[in-house]
Amino acid sequence: MRGFSFAVIFSFFELPICCTVYITDIYGIRNGKSRMQATNEFLSLINQHQNIIHKVCNLYMHDAADKEDLFQEITLQAWNAYKSFRGDAKFSTWLYRVALNTAISFYRKEKRKPQFERAYEFPDQPDETSEIEEQMQAMYQAIGALSKIDKALVMLYLEDYSYDEIGNMLGITANNVAVKMNRIKTKLKEESKKHYQFS
Amino acid sequence: MELDELKSLINERMERVQTEKSPADIAMLLGKKTQAVTAKIKRSLVIEMVTSVAFTLACIAIAVFGTYSSLRIYFAIFAVICALFIPLLYILFNKTKKLSSTALPVKSNLQTLIKIIREYVKRYFQLTMALIPISLIIAFSLVYTQENLYNPVQDTFFVGSPLKTALIAGYIILFSIGMYYFTKWYLKKLYGNYVQQLEMLIEELEEQQ
Repeated sequence: MRGFSFAVIFSFFELPICCTVYITDIYGIRNGKSRMQATNEFLSLINQHQNIIHKVCNLYMHDAADKEDLFQEITLQAWNAYKSFRGDAKFSTWLYRVALNTAISFYRKEKRKPQFERAYEFPDQPDETSEIEEQMQAMYQAIGALSKIDKALVMLYLEDYSYDEIGNMLGITANNVAVKMNRIKTKLKEESKKHYQFS
Repeated sequence: MELDELKSLINERMERVQTEKSPADIAMLLGKKTQAVTAKIKRSLVIEMVTSVAFTLACIAIAVFGTYSSLRIYFAIFAVICALFIPLLYILFNKTKKLSSTALPVKSNLQTLIKIIREYVKRYFQLTMALIPISLIIAFSLVYTQENLYNPVQDTFFVGSPLKTALIAGYIILFSIGMYYFTKWYLKKLYGNYVQQLEMLIEELEEQQ
Protein backbone atom coordinates (compact mmCIF):
# COMPACT_ATOMS: atom_id res chain seq x y z
CA MET A 1 0.00 0.00 0.00
CA ARG A 2 2.86 2.33 0.91
CA GLY A 3 4.60 1.54 -2.40
CA PHE A 4 1.41 2.23 -4.33
CA SER A 5 0.99 5.59 -2.59
CA PHE A 6 4.55 6.54 -3.51
CA ALA A 7 3.97 5.50 -7.11
CA VAL A 8 0.86 7.69 -7.28
CA ILE A 9 2.72 10.65 -5.77
CA PHE A 10 5.70 10.19 -8.10
CA SER A 11 3.48 9.87 -11.14
CA PHE A 12 2.19 13.38 -10.45
CA PHE A 13 5.74 14.71 -10.92
CA GLU A 14 5.26 14.02 -14.62
CA LEU A 15 2.45 16.55 -14.78
CA PRO A 16 4.57 19.73 -14.48
CA ILE A 17 7.08 18.23 -16.95
CA CYS A 18 4.28 17.63 -19.50
CA CYS A 19 2.93 21.12 -18.86
CA THR A 20 6.38 22.61 -19.41
CA VAL A 21 6.65 20.84 -22.77
CA TYR A 22 3.16 22.06 -23.70
CA ILE A 23 3.80 25.66 -22.60
CA THR A 24 7.14 25.66 -24.47
CA ASP A 25 5.29 24.44 -27.51
CA ILE A 26 2.55 27.08 -27.18
CA TYR A 27 4.97 29.94 -26.92
CA GLY A 28 7.08 28.29 -29.58
CA ILE A 29 10.46 28.53 -27.90
CA ARG A 30 11.89 26.18 -30.47
CA ASN A 31 15.31 26.40 -32.05
CA GLY A 32 15.84 29.69 -30.24
CA LYS A 33 13.06 31.32 -32.27
CA SER A 34 9.80 32.57 -30.79
CA ARG A 35 6.57 31.43 -32.41
CA MET A 36 5.63 35.01 -33.21
CA GLN A 37 8.97 35.53 -34.95
CA ALA A 38 8.59 32.28 -36.90
CA THR A 39 5.01 33.18 -37.89
CA ASN A 40 6.01 36.61 -39.16
CA GLU A 41 8.95 35.15 -41.06
CA PHE A 42 6.71 32.50 -42.61
CA LEU A 43 3.98 34.99 -43.57
CA SER A 44 6.52 37.24 -45.20
CA LEU A 45 8.04 34.35 -47.19
CA ILE A 46 4.63 33.03 -48.31
CA ASN A 47 3.58 36.54 -49.28
CA GLN A 48 6.70 36.90 -51.45
CA HIS A 49 6.30 33.46 -53.05
CA GLN A 50 2.49 33.19 -53.23
CA ASN A 51 2.69 33.13 -57.04
CA ILE A 52 4.04 29.56 -56.72
CA ILE A 53 0.95 28.46 -54.78
CA HIS A 54 -1.39 30.27 -57.17
CA LYS A 55 0.34 28.60 -60.10
CA VAL A 56 -0.09 25.13 -58.60
CA CYS A 57 -3.73 25.87 -57.73
CA ASN A 58 -4.50 27.15 -61.25
CA LEU A 59 -2.98 24.08 -62.81
CA TYR A 60 -4.50 21.44 -60.54
CA MET A 61 -7.98 22.84 -59.92
CA HIS A 62 -10.77 23.91 -62.25
CA ASP A 63 -13.08 26.23 -60.36
CA ALA A 64 -12.48 29.13 -58.00
CA ALA A 65 -13.76 27.40 -54.85
CA ASP A 66 -11.48 24.38 -55.37
CA LYS A 67 -8.52 26.66 -56.07
CA GLU A 68 -9.22 28.53 -52.83
CA ASP A 69 -9.41 25.23 -50.90
CA LEU A 70 -6.14 24.03 -52.37
CA PHE A 71 -4.46 27.38 -51.63
CA GLN A 72 -5.53 27.04 -47.99
CA GLU A 73 -4.36 23.42 -47.84
CA ILE A 74 -0.94 24.21 -49.31
CA THR A 75 -0.46 27.15 -46.92
CA LEU A 76 -1.40 24.96 -43.94
CA GLN A 77 0.88 22.12 -45.04
CA ALA A 78 3.73 24.59 -45.59
CA TRP A 79 3.16 26.01 -42.11
CA ASN A 80 3.20 22.50 -40.57
CA ALA A 81 6.40 21.64 -42.41
CA TYR A 82 8.06 25.04 -41.88
CA LYS A 83 9.72 23.80 -38.67
CA SER A 84 11.69 21.34 -40.80
CA PHE A 85 12.84 24.04 -43.27
CA ARG A 86 16.48 24.68 -42.46
CA GLY A 87 17.36 26.88 -45.39
CA ASP A 88 19.56 24.25 -47.13
CA ALA A 89 17.55 24.72 -50.30
CA LYS A 90 15.93 27.89 -51.66
CA PHE A 91 12.53 28.64 -50.09
CA SER A 92 10.92 28.60 -53.54
CA THR A 93 12.24 25.05 -54.22
CA TRP A 94 11.05 23.87 -50.82
CA LEU A 95 7.63 25.50 -51.35
CA TYR A 96 7.30 23.82 -54.78
CA ARG A 97 7.92 20.47 -53.10
CA VAL A 98 5.28 21.09 -50.40
CA ALA A 99 2.77 22.52 -52.91
CA LEU A 100 3.17 19.64 -55.37
CA ASN A 101 2.96 17.03 -52.59
CA THR A 102 -0.27 18.62 -51.38
CA ALA A 103 -1.80 19.07 -54.82
CA ILE A 104 -0.93 15.53 -55.96
CA SER A 105 -2.25 13.83 -52.82
CA PHE A 106 -5.24 16.21 -52.48
CA TYR A 107 -8.34 14.05 -52.44
CA ARG A 108 -11.75 15.35 -53.24
CA LYS A 109 -14.84 13.55 -54.47
CA GLU A 110 -15.52 14.59 -58.06
CA LYS A 111 -18.38 17.02 -58.33
CA ARG A 112 -20.66 16.82 -61.33
CA LYS A 113 -20.33 20.03 -63.26
CA PRO A 114 -21.27 21.13 -66.76
CA GLN A 115 -18.49 20.49 -69.25
CA PHE A 116 -18.02 24.15 -70.22
CA GLU A 117 -17.08 25.02 -66.63
CA ARG A 118 -14.38 22.38 -66.61
CA ALA A 119 -12.39 23.77 -69.54
CA TYR A 120 -8.94 25.07 -68.62
CA GLU A 121 -8.49 28.75 -69.18
CA PHE A 122 -5.75 31.11 -68.16
CA PRO A 123 -6.62 32.80 -64.88
CA ASP A 124 -6.19 36.26 -66.42
CA GLN A 125 -7.72 36.09 -69.87
CA PRO A 126 -7.48 39.26 -72.03
CA ASP A 127 -10.54 40.43 -73.95
CA GLU A 128 -8.79 40.57 -77.32
CA THR A 129 -7.32 37.31 -78.56
CA SER A 130 -4.35 37.36 -80.92
CA GLU A 131 -2.94 34.32 -82.72
CA ILE A 132 -0.22 33.82 -80.14
CA GLU A 133 -2.82 34.15 -77.39
CA GLU A 134 -4.87 31.38 -78.99
CA GLN A 135 -1.80 29.19 -79.34
CA MET A 136 -0.98 29.76 -75.68
CA GLN A 137 -4.54 28.98 -74.66
CA ALA A 138 -4.44 25.77 -76.71
CA MET A 139 -1.16 24.77 -75.07
CA TYR A 140 -2.52 25.60 -71.62
CA GLN A 141 -5.59 23.45 -72.26
CA ALA A 142 -3.35 20.60 -73.36
CA ILE A 143 -1.31 20.97 -70.15
CA GLY A 144 -4.56 20.96 -68.16
CA ALA A 145 -5.49 17.60 -69.66
CA LEU A 146 -2.25 15.97 -68.47
CA SER A 147 -2.03 13.62 -65.48
CA LYS A 148 -1.11 14.98 -62.02
CA ILE A 149 2.50 13.76 -62.33
CA ASP A 150 2.95 15.14 -65.85
CA LYS A 151 1.56 18.51 -64.72
CA ALA A 152 4.20 18.61 -61.97
CA LEU A 153 6.93 17.85 -64.50
CA VAL A 154 5.75 20.57 -66.88
CA MET A 155 5.44 23.11 -64.10
CA LEU A 156 9.00 22.51 -62.88
CA TYR A 157 10.28 22.47 -66.47
CA LEU A 158 8.64 25.84 -67.14
CA GLU A 159 10.39 27.17 -64.02
CA ASP A 160 13.72 26.25 -65.65
CA TYR A 161 14.68 23.63 -63.09
CA SER A 162 17.29 21.18 -64.37
CA TYR A 163 16.40 17.50 -64.85
CA ASP A 164 18.49 16.68 -61.77
CA GLU A 165 16.56 19.18 -59.64
CA ILE A 166 13.20 17.96 -60.99
CA GLY A 167 14.30 14.40 -60.28
CA ASN A 168 15.22 15.34 -56.70
CA MET A 169 11.87 17.02 -56.13
CA LEU A 170 9.86 14.14 -57.53
CA GLY A 171 12.08 11.34 -56.20
CA ILE A 172 13.00 9.88 -59.60
CA THR A 173 16.20 9.82 -61.70
CA ALA A 174 17.21 12.63 -64.07
CA ASN A 175 17.18 10.06 -66.87
CA ASN A 176 13.57 9.20 -66.09
CA VAL A 177 12.70 12.92 -66.08
CA ALA A 178 14.28 13.32 -69.54
CA VAL A 179 12.32 10.35 -70.92
CA LYS A 180 9.07 11.65 -69.46
CA MET A 181 9.65 15.21 -70.68
CA ASN A 182 10.25 14.02 -74.25
CA ARG A 183 7.00 12.06 -74.16
CA ILE A 184 5.10 14.99 -72.64
CA LYS A 185 6.43 17.48 -75.23
CA THR A 186 5.28 15.24 -78.10
CA LYS A 187 1.89 14.76 -76.46
CA LEU A 188 1.45 18.50 -75.85
CA LYS A 189 2.38 19.31 -79.43
CA GLU A 190 -0.29 16.96 -80.76
CA GLU A 191 -2.94 17.92 -78.21
CA SER A 192 -2.44 21.68 -78.55
CA LYS A 193 -2.72 21.33 -82.34
CA LYS A 194 -6.18 19.78 -81.85
CA HIS A 195 -7.28 22.56 -79.49
CA TYR A 196 -5.87 25.26 -81.81
CA GLN A 197 -7.61 23.83 -84.88
CA PHE A 198 -10.83 23.52 -82.91
CA SER A 199 -10.75 27.14 -81.71
CA MET B 1 3.84 24.68 -81.84
CA GLU B 2 6.26 23.42 -79.20
CA LEU B 3 6.21 23.80 -75.44
CA ASP B 4 9.67 25.41 -75.55
CA GLU B 5 8.48 28.13 -77.96
CA LEU B 6 5.79 29.26 -75.52
CA LYS B 7 7.71 28.43 -72.34
CA SER B 8 8.37 31.91 -70.98
CA LEU B 9 4.99 33.29 -72.12
CA ILE B 10 3.00 30.49 -70.50
CA ASN B 11 5.04 30.68 -67.31
CA GLU B 12 4.49 34.41 -67.08
CA ARG B 13 0.73 34.07 -67.67
CA MET B 14 0.40 31.24 -65.18
CA GLU B 15 1.97 33.39 -62.51
CA ARG B 16 -0.60 36.15 -62.94
CA VAL B 17 -3.22 36.05 -60.27
CA GLN B 18 -6.56 37.77 -60.14
CA THR B 19 -6.64 38.34 -56.41
CA GLU B 20 -3.35 38.49 -54.55
CA LYS B 21 -3.55 37.62 -50.87
CA SER B 22 -2.32 39.98 -48.17
CA PRO B 23 -0.25 38.69 -45.21
CA ALA B 24 -3.40 39.16 -43.08
CA ASP B 25 -5.38 36.87 -45.44
CA ILE B 26 -2.62 34.27 -45.26
CA ALA B 27 -2.49 34.54 -41.46
CA MET B 28 -6.26 33.89 -41.37
CA LEU B 29 -5.73 30.67 -43.36
CA LEU B 30 -3.31 29.33 -40.73
CA GLY B 31 -6.12 29.11 -38.18
CA LYS B 32 -8.36 27.00 -40.43
CA LYS B 33 -8.85 23.25 -40.32
CA THR B 34 -6.84 21.17 -42.79
CA GLN B 35 -8.60 18.66 -45.04
CA ALA B 36 -5.52 16.52 -45.70
CA VAL B 37 -5.83 12.75 -45.22
CA THR B 38 -2.94 12.76 -42.73
CA ALA B 39 -4.77 15.36 -40.63
CA LYS B 40 -7.96 13.30 -40.71
CA ILE B 41 -6.03 10.20 -39.62
CA LYS B 42 -4.33 12.21 -36.86
CA ARG B 43 -7.70 13.43 -35.59
CA SER B 44 -9.12 9.89 -35.69
CA LEU B 45 -6.08 8.54 -33.84
CA VAL B 46 -6.40 11.15 -31.09
CA ILE B 47 -10.10 10.30 -30.64
CA GLU B 48 -9.28 6.57 -30.62
CA MET B 49 -6.48 7.00 -28.09
CA VAL B 50 -8.68 9.06 -25.74
CA THR B 51 -11.55 6.57 -26.13
CA SER B 52 -9.21 3.61 -25.58
CA VAL B 53 -7.79 5.15 -22.39
CA ALA B 54 -11.27 5.96 -21.06
CA PHE B 55 -12.58 2.52 -22.01
CA THR B 56 -9.55 0.74 -20.51
CA LEU B 57 -10.00 2.62 -17.23
CA ALA B 58 -13.72 1.83 -17.16
CA CYS B 59 -13.04 -1.86 -17.92
CA ILE B 60 -10.37 -2.03 -15.21
CA ALA B 61 -12.80 -0.50 -12.72
CA ILE B 62 -15.47 -3.10 -13.57
CA ALA B 63 -12.88 -5.91 -13.56
CA VAL B 64 -11.71 -4.90 -10.07
CA PHE B 65 -14.97 -3.91 -8.44
CA GLY B 66 -17.52 -6.04 -10.40
CA THR B 67 -19.74 -8.49 -8.52
CA TYR B 68 -20.08 -11.28 -11.10
CA SER B 69 -16.93 -13.27 -11.84
CA SER B 70 -17.73 -13.70 -15.54
CA LEU B 71 -18.36 -9.96 -15.89
CA ARG B 72 -14.99 -9.27 -14.28
CA ILE B 73 -13.18 -11.66 -16.67
CA TYR B 74 -15.03 -10.17 -19.65
CA PHE B 75 -14.04 -6.60 -18.85
CA ALA B 76 -10.50 -7.57 -17.80
CA ILE B 77 -9.91 -9.08 -21.28
CA PHE B 78 -11.39 -5.98 -22.92
CA ALA B 79 -9.10 -3.79 -20.80
CA VAL B 80 -6.01 -5.78 -21.85
CA ILE B 81 -6.88 -5.58 -25.55
CA CYS B 82 -7.61 -1.84 -25.42
CA ALA B 83 -4.46 -1.19 -23.39
CA LEU B 84 -2.37 -3.10 -25.97
CA PHE B 85 -3.70 -0.90 -28.75
CA ILE B 86 -2.89 2.42 -27.06
CA PRO B 87 0.92 2.32 -27.70
CA LEU B 88 0.31 1.08 -31.27
CA LEU B 89 -2.02 4.02 -31.94
CA TYR B 90 0.51 6.39 -30.39
CA ILE B 91 3.35 5.11 -32.61
CA LEU B 92 1.12 5.53 -35.66
CA PHE B 93 0.13 9.03 -34.52
CA ASN B 94 3.81 10.02 -34.25
CA LYS B 95 4.56 8.63 -37.73
CA THR B 96 1.63 10.59 -39.20
CA LYS B 97 2.72 13.75 -37.39
CA LYS B 98 6.25 13.33 -38.72
CA LEU B 99 5.02 12.98 -42.31
CA SER B 100 2.93 16.16 -42.14
CA SER B 101 5.87 18.13 -40.74
CA THR B 102 8.43 17.23 -43.42
CA ALA B 103 8.74 18.03 -47.11
CA LEU B 104 9.73 14.74 -48.73
CA PRO B 105 10.20 14.20 -52.47
CA VAL B 106 6.85 13.46 -54.16
CA LYS B 107 7.48 9.71 -54.58
CA SER B 108 8.64 9.17 -50.97
CA ASN B 109 5.73 11.27 -49.73
CA LEU B 110 3.23 9.11 -51.62
CA GLN B 111 4.91 5.89 -50.43
CA THR B 112 4.91 7.03 -46.78
CA LEU B 113 1.28 8.15 -47.06
CA ILE B 114 0.23 4.73 -48.40
CA LYS B 115 2.23 2.98 -45.65
CA ILE B 116 0.54 5.05 -42.93
CA ILE B 117 -2.97 4.53 -44.32
CA ARG B 118 -2.34 0.78 -44.67
CA GLU B 119 -1.02 0.53 -41.13
CA TYR B 120 -3.97 2.52 -39.79
CA VAL B 121 -6.44 0.34 -41.67
CA LYS B 122 -4.61 -2.81 -40.46
CA ARG B 123 -4.72 -1.76 -36.79
CA TYR B 124 -8.36 -0.71 -37.05
CA PHE B 125 -9.22 -4.06 -38.64
CA GLN B 126 -7.22 -6.02 -36.03
CA LEU B 127 -8.94 -4.19 -33.17
CA THR B 128 -12.40 -4.81 -34.62
CA MET B 129 -11.68 -8.47 -35.35
CA ALA B 130 -10.09 -9.08 -31.94
CA LEU B 131 -13.18 -7.82 -30.19
CA ILE B 132 -15.63 -10.06 -32.10
CA PRO B 133 -14.81 -13.49 -30.56
CA ILE B 134 -14.31 -11.99 -27.14
CA SER B 135 -17.58 -10.10 -27.16
CA LEU B 136 -19.52 -13.09 -28.52
CA ILE B 137 -18.04 -16.05 -26.66
CA ILE B 138 -17.68 -14.32 -23.34
CA ALA B 139 -21.10 -12.69 -23.66
CA PHE B 140 -22.73 -16.08 -24.15
CA SER B 141 -20.67 -17.78 -21.45
CA LEU B 142 -21.51 -14.89 -19.13
CA VAL B 143 -25.25 -15.31 -19.63
CA TYR B 144 -25.30 -19.09 -19.48
CA THR B 145 -22.89 -19.65 -16.61
CA GLN B 146 -24.04 -16.95 -14.26
CA GLU B 147 -26.84 -18.29 -12.11
CA ASN B 148 -28.22 -14.83 -11.33
CA LEU B 149 -28.58 -13.99 -15.04
CA TYR B 150 -29.84 -17.29 -16.45
CA ASN B 151 -32.36 -19.72 -15.00
CA PRO B 152 -32.45 -23.05 -16.91
CA VAL B 153 -35.75 -24.00 -15.27
CA GLN B 154 -37.54 -21.07 -16.94
CA ASP B 155 -35.97 -21.80 -20.32
CA THR B 156 -38.39 -24.40 -21.68
CA PHE B 157 -37.58 -24.07 -25.38
CA PHE B 158 -33.80 -24.29 -25.42
CA VAL B 159 -32.86 -26.53 -22.50
CA GLY B 160 -30.62 -29.40 -23.55
CA SER B 161 -31.67 -29.18 -27.19
CA PRO B 162 -29.25 -29.43 -30.11
CA LEU B 163 -31.32 -26.66 -31.71
CA LYS B 164 -30.08 -24.26 -29.05
CA THR B 165 -26.42 -25.06 -29.78
CA ALA B 166 -27.01 -24.85 -33.53
CA LEU B 167 -28.76 -21.49 -33.24
CA ILE B 168 -26.03 -20.03 -31.05
CA ALA B 169 -23.27 -21.38 -33.31
CA GLY B 170 -25.13 -20.11 -36.40
CA TYR B 171 -25.58 -16.69 -34.89
CA ILE B 172 -21.88 -16.48 -33.91
CA ILE B 173 -20.72 -17.57 -37.37
CA LEU B 174 -23.10 -15.24 -39.24
CA PHE B 175 -22.30 -12.30 -36.99
CA SER B 176 -18.53 -12.87 -37.34
CA ILE B 177 -18.67 -13.24 -41.14
CA GLY B 178 -20.97 -10.21 -41.39
CA MET B 179 -18.69 -8.08 -39.25
CA TYR B 180 -15.60 -9.23 -41.19
CA TYR B 181 -17.03 -8.25 -44.57
CA PHE B 182 -18.70 -5.10 -43.26
CA THR B 183 -15.40 -3.85 -41.74
CA LYS B 184 -13.52 -4.69 -44.96
CA TRP B 185 -16.10 -2.89 -47.10
CA TYR B 186 -16.21 0.11 -44.76
CA LEU B 187 -12.41 0.52 -44.71
CA LYS B 188 -12.21 0.10 -48.47
CA LYS B 189 -14.90 2.76 -48.87
CA LEU B 190 -13.02 5.11 -46.55
CA TYR B 191 -9.47 4.68 -47.82
CA GLY B 192 -9.38 1.96 -50.51
CA ASN B 193 -10.03 4.14 -53.55
CA TYR B 194 -7.65 6.82 -52.33
CA VAL B 195 -4.83 4.31 -51.79
CA GLN B 196 -5.48 2.92 -55.27
CA GLN B 197 -5.12 6.42 -56.75
CA LEU B 198 -1.86 6.98 -54.85
CA GLU B 199 -0.50 3.63 -56.04
CA MET B 200 -1.29 4.56 -59.62
CA LEU B 201 0.62 7.83 -59.18
CA ILE B 202 3.68 5.94 -57.88
CA GLU B 203 3.44 3.52 -60.82
CA GLU B 204 3.31 6.49 -63.18
CA LEU B 205 6.37 8.04 -61.54
CA GLU B 206 8.30 4.79 -61.82
CA GLU B 207 7.46 3.90 -65.41
CA GLN B 208 10.32 4.62 -67.81
CA GLN B 209 8.45 5.16 -71.07
